[in-house]
Amino acid sequence: MRPRRALPVDDGRHDRHELEKLLRQVALGDRVAFERVYDMVAAPVYGVVLRVLRDPAQSEEVAQEVLVEVWRAAARFDASRGSGMSWVMTIAHHRAVDRVRAAQASTVREDRAARLEVHRPYDDVAESVEATLEWERLRRCLSGLTELQRQSVTYAYYGGYTYREVAELLKVPLATVKTRMRDGLIRMRDCLGVER
Amino acid sequence: MSRDPHTLAGAYALHAVDDPAERASFEEHLDRCAECAEETRGLRETAARLGSAVAQEPPAALRDRVLAEIGVVRQLPPAVSPVADLDRHRASRRPLWPRVVSGLAAAALAAAVTLGVVALRTQDLLDRERQANSRVAAVLAAPDATTVSSADGGVSARVVMSRSQGTMVFFSAGLAPLPDGKTYQLWRIGPAGPLPDRLTRPDPSGRTPPLVLGKLGDTTQVGITVEPAGGSAKPTTSPLMVMPLPPA
Ligand SMILES: [Zn+2]
Repeated sequence: MRPRRALPVDDGRHDRHELEKLLRQVALGDRVAFERVYDMVAAPVYGVVLRVLRDPAQSEEVAQEVLVEVWRAAARFDASRGSGMSWVMTIAHHRAVDRVRAAQASTVREDRAARLEVHRPYDDVAESVEATLEWERLRRCLSGLTELQRQSVTYAYYGGYTYREVAELLKVPLATVKTRMRDGLIRMRDCLGVER
Repeated sequence: MSRDPHTLAGAYALHAVDDPAERASFEEHLDRCAECAEETRGLRETAARLGSAVAQEPPAALRDRVLAEIGVVRQLPPAVSPVADLDRHRASRRPLWPRVVSGLAAAALAAAVTLGVVALRTQDLLDRERQANSRVAAVLAAPDATTVSSADGGVSARVVMSRSQGTMVFFSAGLAPLPDGKTYQLWRIGPAGPLPDRLTRPDPSGRTPPLVLGKLGDTTQVGITVEPAGGSAKPTTSPLMVMPLPPA
């Protein structure tokens, strides 16, 4: 069994149950509830999509798809399996990453490696993001990771790279990358005081 | 992939496992390994924080476009029931549904339809859910499917088992919500004592989704306890319910 984690400090978490309640209303076709959901999730959704795609026009398009999906699939949200925000963000991240992968499906590997020369996911994000409290906390937690953990986690999450690509790009064995992604995220979870 | 599936939770939560076969095999593992399932959930919450921390206000026009679009988009129904799955199988060449449905199996199926709110998260997770649904459907449709029900203090639970397949599915309704930090845990109880099985939490209506439990084997009873989140190796509280299974 896992040792007890630190108590959450948190931000946005009081909204958590509210978002879940609203999603249940949305599932019943409540458009007014959806507008409130929109106001709670649109910025996180657009933010993550933008970091992954790095193109505002495409990001707006994908963010629209994601937000409509939240409306369409609200009945499938199950609070016993995770928070509402994590449900929404999983949809957003998957859509954005899948879009990047589809666009690059035809690109040869060397080009992808070359792309990394100019695209360093964490630095790019750090330069472009708004300095909010939540970002500051995340950045502090990220700085508690080893270099390899941080790169593995951020290349995958913000760069949309698969763990195989990350291994190739960082020139480390596959098993090492898998382990670093896992222990890096575990350390982040504990540092952020994520529930469950 | 069978080498050490436990290590894949991080890559999986980061959506960094792109090989569909590898992803499917990890998802299969999640259905079996309570520890990985719990860990994956926590890591997915963590990944979501990487996303929400980089929030950025979208252009105002997006709101109008989204609100206009939802006016014409039809919403999904709440659940994908095992019935839908059975229909698909029925249409395919191998009939999964036996010609004569035993009363018990039919009752179990009805329960599955009522209780079977299987959450679907994203298109990506659809396959996993479909697999889980079809495993549930396979147990319910087994010619020797047997239902064991139990009701106690507002909680009703049901195990549908098939000796020929060596499988069981657990359903319940009426379980009280738990505080964060606690989970319900199922146990397969046999000659060796209680073996840890799936972790579950009821949805807001108090139902748990159908859960395929571990190998039936020499299990004689199925029990449920409240445990610390993440589950326990041995029960740490007395069971809320113990359901004896009919002998082979
Ligand atoms: Zn495992």
